[in-house]
Amino acid sequence: MIALATPYLWYTTRATGIVALILFTLVVSLGTLVANRIGGTIVGRFEINELHRSLSIVAMIFLVLHILTTVLDNYVSTGLISAFIPMTSAYKRVAITFGAVAFDLIVAVWISSLLKLRVANSTWRFIHWFSWIGFATALVHAYMSGTDARSGVGLLLVGACGGVVVLAALWRFIGRPTRAAGRTALSPLARVKAPTNKRPVSRPFASSARPTNKRGR
Amino acid sequence: MGVRRRAGLFILQVNPILCDGFGHCGELAPELVKMDEWGYPIINPEPVPFTNTGAHESARYAERGCPRQALRIRKISDK
Repeated sequence: MIALATPYLWYTTRATGIVALILFTLVVSLGTLVANRIGGTIVGRFEINELHRSLSIVAMIFLVLHILTTVLDNYVSTGLISAFIPMTSAYKRVAITFGAVAFDLIVAVWISSLLKLRVANSTWRFIHWFSWIGFATALVHAYMSGTDARSGVGLLLVGACGGVVVLAALWRFIGRPTRAAGRTALSPLARVKAPTNKRPVSRPFASSARPTNKRGR
Repeated sequence: MGVRRRAGLFILQVNPILCDGFGHCGELAPELVKMDEWGYPIINPEPVPFTNTGAHESARYAERGCPRQALRIRKISDK
């Protein structure tokens, strides 16, 4: 598209692809931490959730940069349509197809999360499961099309990212809570002391200050 | 999504069927939510005025941060 004599767009494509892969590895891993209810004492559970959300936005930015620089660069003949639709790229057709499928799945997960307060939770969860498939296809895309991914540090990186997510998936399955795993910093069982026979307070807000809705509204 | 100063009262409502006891609401809105010993929320039943911006902001964080979308801010028509 844009005739650029310098190879820097192509280098940017490769670099942002690698960074996006690392970021999505972190995002998926953090998501399993939220789902398996890690945190609550030293680090808040909501903080892990917020990190998961914020990092996913950063990862999306790198992914968009990765796609834009690929499209703009004329070193490889990959159009914008190939970023979305499988089997449309003249360059590395199958490898780019895996990337397109991954991008479509990631966009679906992203949009469903943006609309989280508007869609049913079961719908959001169903779509969110596809992030595993999205990551797997992205990893295949990285291995197949990555210029640096089949030797040396690149191969090590792809293997490490894949390994981390496989471990996360295993742990997501094995360590999943069967019921509400309480024990956050605020729950009475957070720091387990000697058991008491005291009955739990039935009305925890009974003694707290009431809003001034009686007189001044 | 600016905070508009509104008249009236609100309560934070939990849908007990959706709630899975993640405990995020207790961390995000400690002035409105206490945790029971299994990690489920016990929400302050008293309506809170919207002019209590701190509590309203916490409630909005809790509503947004709930992993099961079990929380809603409900406006109470004040009498």
